[in-house]
Order: sequence, then structure tokens, then C-alpha cells
Amino acid sequence: MAESSALTCEEKQDENVPVYEFVDVNSKEFHIGAFRDLWLDVLSPEVYSYADTAPEIEDVEFIEEMGIEPKTLEELKTICSVDSLRSPHEDTDNVPSDLHLSTLKLRKRRQDYKETLTRDTADRHEVYANEMEMMSVGKKPDNHSDLIPEGEIILTFNIMYPVLFQRFKFVRAYQTLHVLGSQKLSDLRDAICCVSDLQVFGEFSNTPDMVPQFISKDHYKSAFFFFNGTFFNDTRFPECQDISKTTREWTRTRDFPEFKTAKMEDTSFYDLKIKVGFPYLYTHQGDCEHVIILTDVRLVHQDDCLDMKLYPLITHKHRVVTRKCSVCHLYISRWITTSDAFAPTDPCLFCDQCFRMFHYDDKGRKLGDFLAYAYVDPGTFN
Amino acid sequence: MDHFRGPVKTDCEELLGRFQMTESVRYEQFAEIWRDMDFSSIFYGKLEPNDRRRFARLVLSVASPYFFPPYTFQIRVGGLYLLYGLFNTQLAIPKEKIRVALKDWKDVMQFQKDAVNAKHYDVVYVFRKLLSDKAFCFTAMPTPLNFRIKREDGMKRKICEEFVDPPSRPQELVTTDVLEEIANIHEHYEGVKKAIFTEPDPNLNIVQQNLVSKLNSTILTYSSWQMNRATSEQQDAGEGPSNQECSSRAQLLASIKSKSYGQVIEASKSRRHRQAELVTTAGPDISPDVPKKKKRFPSLKTRTQLRFRTQGNTSEGSSLTRLWCLSAVKEEMETEKKKKKFNWNPNKSSDPT
Repeated sequence: MAESSALTCEEKQDENVPVYEFVDVNSKEFHIGAFRDLWLDVLSPEVYSYADTAPEIEDVEFIEEMGIEPKTLEELKTICSVDSLRSPHEDTDNVPSDLHLSTLKLRKRRQDYKETLTRDTADRHEVYANEMEMMSVGKKPDNHSDLIPEGEIILTFNIMYPVLFQRFKFVRAYQTLHVLGSQKLSDLRDAICCVSDLQVFGEFSNTPDMVPQFISKDHYKSAFFFFNGTFFNDTRFPECQDISKTTREWTRTRDFPEFKTAKMEDTSFYDLKIKVGFPYLYTHQGDCEHVIILTDVRLVHQDDCLDMKLYPLITHKHRVVTRKCSVCHLYISRWITTSDAFAPTDPCLFCDQCFRMFHYDDKGRKLGDFLAYAYVDPGTFN
Repeated sequence: MDHFRGPVKTDCEELLGRFQMTESVRYEQFAEIWRDMDFSSIFYGKLEPNDRRRFARLVLSVASPYFFPPYTFQIRVGGLYLLYGLFNTQLAIPKEKIRVALKDWKDVMQFQKDAVNAKHYDVVYVFRKLLSDKAFCFTAMPTPLNFRIKREDGMKRKICEEFVDPPSRPQELVTTDVLEEIANIHEHYEGVKKAIFTEPDPNLNIVQQNLVSKLNSTILTYSSWQMNRATSEQQDAGEGPSNQECSSRAQLLASIKSKSYGQVIEASKSRRHRQAELVTTAGPDISPDVPKKKKRFPSLKTRTQLRFRTQGNTSEGSSLTRLWCLSAVKEEMETEKKKKKFNWNPNKSSDPT
């Protein structure tokens, strides 16, 4: 009995070690919690702890383990110190003049090319990305209970923006979120920013002053994740329906294996069995579908952001150009009109002031025939 | 940033090649080569902090495979020193970590044990220093995966043949234990045969009588041939033995391919209407296929410009109205600089069309 259980233990271990299913594309599926246990078994706690062991203790351990003299250790330290790697050129901003490495040759060519370009202002996207990074890198929490425990797993998800126009389907726009293994799937769901959550329904040409009280996020709360044959539904609110039911019933009539369901708010990432680098699905608002890929699973490191309250953490966001009003090209558009005789294009975007000046007279009466809808710009998350 | 992958790989292989030639595992030798090549300057240049971090990540991911099997022990030591050097000389703050996947950790531990047993103190010291500096990041897979199915040729992992031990599968398969066992079974078999049949029947001699000794001698010949080939290659002067070997091997492959594709198998009489025809290709088939550039349909802007240019008005470069310099004096207008696209690979030839 002991032998067979030892065998199954080993088998379990082996099947949870992530390996490539297709090299450099994706891995086979493995259980995240078991993966974490496997790592913690093979590592000694000092290796992944946040504190650094004192150098004297390390020296003593080294001397004892290798059975050498302290003098030899001192010699080793001087030989293998970082100074032995120092370059004679102190200036790190410029490529050295004697180009021996092929990397430097390429870099010099690229730098020379960039200097021929006329643009000399800093890249706006870099500025935004830097700001985002500054908010989170290396942050330690004020409250000690918010510190991420050592040995926690951080998962990195890439969530692609939905492709609405065929013309732009070659751009893989995505946002990157880091989540902790102990967090629930519903935390990830709440952190995903999608512009379709903010859409407002209704035709307002007759009542432009009525401020809409609701956005789609409050109205349609159902959502699901689809990982490895299981639909994880959001059941936190009474309005949430099981929108995966239609898909599951359809698959039952065709040649598909049986799909299971589970609750999003009860499942933490440690319970998931998932493949790295493989595309999965997140659906909300009924039909807004996002492809979601788990790109990386690793143990937490002392240089990461260690504040639990900041997770799920956004590290990369693809910024969309904001669409301005067709009239003034200054303000961000808030109205979109169709079948409008006055507008140059169908549909046409207007900012609030231009919209009112264009379509309504002083008394607020509607001029002409048109349909107007509230427009939420995709660049609101910039 | 991926365009730098090729040159970085070339530089790393040059460094490791020089280290391999010293035939030692001492850190001092490695540091000498490092200083000679001025390898720390690989990070220099006018780069944004984000680009610095991305480049550091790229360099570490290119250098990591040399630390794991199937490379030889010396190359793995070189890989460890290389990672140590790159980790400590990188310019990103906080430092980018060296990723180690769970499946490779066993090999790392084995490597450390071998180094301790062989009393290579500098190897052990460097490894422990990296561990205590928290240079490693313990991950699931060696690199972050984004389901990229379409990859350029440069991304595919090519193992440098010189850094790997020559294949020794026959020797691994036929060891002394295996030979002993085979000899025992053979004896047993002969004994059982004799016991059943008093007269030795020639039809029952299926197995070779001196199987074991033949196996042994074949394996010995093979291993001595391998060693002879290795020494004769080293004695070869000139460009490099591996290059010649590669080209001769490539030519051999090409000749085999041309023979097989040159012969058209004639279809049977029932399929006479579907005879196969030999279609010759234009370019040589030794070199790997250069991926054809996707021919993009020219945009409306380009088509309009082309049409207007050909129809006339070619005296001025372009007669576009520039809104931001409408108030500039006409004589002061600078000539428009022709924007050339940056060519990442000037050495690669274009399609053989």
C-alpha cells in the first residue's frame, strides 16, 4: 500500500511540473497549488525570503560546507568580486568607440538612425508607462498585515481587447494584470477595465438633458471565465445569470466533451488547473469576449510590489487614441448621432457643447431629424 | 527589442567559445576574457530606463540556456559565470532576475553537487553569491509565453553543436552490465536448447553464436572512430572544422534531396491522367527559406500620391499643404528629408525572385 501511494505521489509530482506542450508556445496544464508546493519543497526558506542573511553567517556556512580555510574564502571573494567585471569605459550613456560586440554595432546603427528623425520629444506612451510603474514597483505596505506572505505565487495575465473592427485585428492590444495566487477569480474580474462596461443605453435625442443614471456595468453583471473546460460564473449578485448555459446546451448537442461549471468567487487561483501561454476566454456584458492568456507563474520576490491591497496590479495597458469631436477637434466626444441630416458623416461624433449648439435652438427645441446616443470613448482608461 | 536577439546570441557564443578553448573552469580565466571583450558595455547606449530593463531581460533569457543540459560541464560553468556577470553589470534598477523553471531546478542542484564534489570552489562561491543576492526568480516556464505561433527564424532555439558532448547513445545503451546480462541469457538459452534437442538442429541456429563479443567490438570501434574524428577536426587548420563539416553535411543533404525529388514516380496505368510533373524551384534549396515579405496592398494615400505624381507636377517634391508652416516664408522652407526605414538586417539578402 505504501509503495503504490508513493508511486502516485511521484506521478502527481511529475504531472504538476510544467513542461512545454509546444516549445516556446504554451505549456501543458498543471495545478497551481501543487506547483507552488513543489517549489517550496525543493527550496530552503532563506532562498525566497525577503530578508537577507548576514554576510558573516553566510561565510561561516560556506567554510563549514566546503571544509576550507577562511583565508581561501577571502581569496575567492577578491577573485570573484564584481570589480573584476568592470569596464574601462565609465560612461554608460554612450556606445564605446571601439565596437567589437555585434550587439553594440546594431545599437550604434539604430542610434544613428534615430538621430536622423526629426522628433525629439519624449514618447508619450513611455511617460505613461513610467508613471504606472512608479506607482507600484518595490512598494512596501504601511500596514504590516498587508504584506504578501513569503512563498506566494504571482500570476501574470494578458487580457486582449476585443476586436471590434476587422481592420484592426492585426494589432494585439492587451493589458497585463498581476494577481496573487490566493486571490479569487472575482478579484481579477473586477480589475479588468473594458470600455463596454461603461456603455449607456438609450436614445436621447428628445431628452438631451436627462443624465443617465445607469451604466452597463451596473445593469448586466453576469460574466464568466472559461479555463480548461470549466465555466466559472459570477454569482455574487442576484441579477447575475448563468450566461454559459446557452453554450453548454449547444455543446451537448454536438461532439464536445461535457463542460463543468463553478463559482468565480469561490475559486482561488491555487485551485485552478491551467496551461501557461494558452488562450482562454473571459466574457461579460453577454457578448463582449476577451481572450485571456496566462503568461507567467512565479514565486514572489523581495523586489516586487509587496502590498496586498494593490493587487490585482496593472503593469501594462495599451492606450487607445481618444476620438475628438468632429466639429471643434478639441473636446472629447460624448455624443454619437446617426441618420443626421446636418452631420457630414454617419455616424458622427460630437462633444457636448457642439452637440447642443448644432442640434438644438436657444429654447432647447430639437432641430431636424436625428438619433443621438451617449458615447463613451475607448480612451477613457488612458 | 527582439531584433537584438541574434547579435546577443553571437556575442555570448563568442565568449563561451573562447572560454571553452582555455579548457579550464577557473573564474579568473573567464574574467580575463570578459574584460578583453569589454562585455559590460553590452548594456551601454542611449536607452530609456524601460528599454534598459527590456534589454536586460532579453540578454538574461538568451544566456540562461547555457547553464542547463545538454551542454557540457565546462560550458555550463561558463554559462553560470556569464549570468553572474550580466546580472551584476546590468543597468536596470531594480535588477532584472534570472528565471529558473521548476523542471530545470533538479539539473541546477545536480550541477552544484558535481561542483562541490570536484572542489571547484569558485563555481560554488559564484553560485551561492547569486542565491544570496536573490538573483533567481523561481518560475513555471523559462520565459513568459504569449502563444506566439508565428515566429521568425531567429527565435527558434538552435543548440550550438560545439558546446555539446558528442552523442554517445550507443555507448550508453551497451554497457558492461548489459553485455554481462546478454552473455548470461545466451548461455542459458544454449543450455536449454541442448537439453531439449540431443542432436543440434541447424535450423534452430537463429542467434549468432558470438553475439556478445561482436557487440563489444562494434561499440569499441565506434567510440574510437568518434575520438579520431574529433582529434582530426581539431588538427584541421583554416576557417573552422565545424564550418566545413556543416557545409559538407549540407551539401550531402542537398544531394540526397535533389535525388529524391528529381525522380518522379510514374503513376500507375489506372491513374495515367494524373501523372506527376517535376517542377524545378528557382533558388538553391540549401539555405533556409527566407520568409517572403507579405505584399501589402498599397494604402489609399500611397495610391493617390503615385497617381498624382505620374500625372504631372513632378518639379516640386510634394505639393502637400503643411498646416503648421503656412506662415513660413517660402524661401526658408527646408527641403524635405527623405525618410528611410531602418533596416534591421542589412546582411540578409532579399528574396531570390
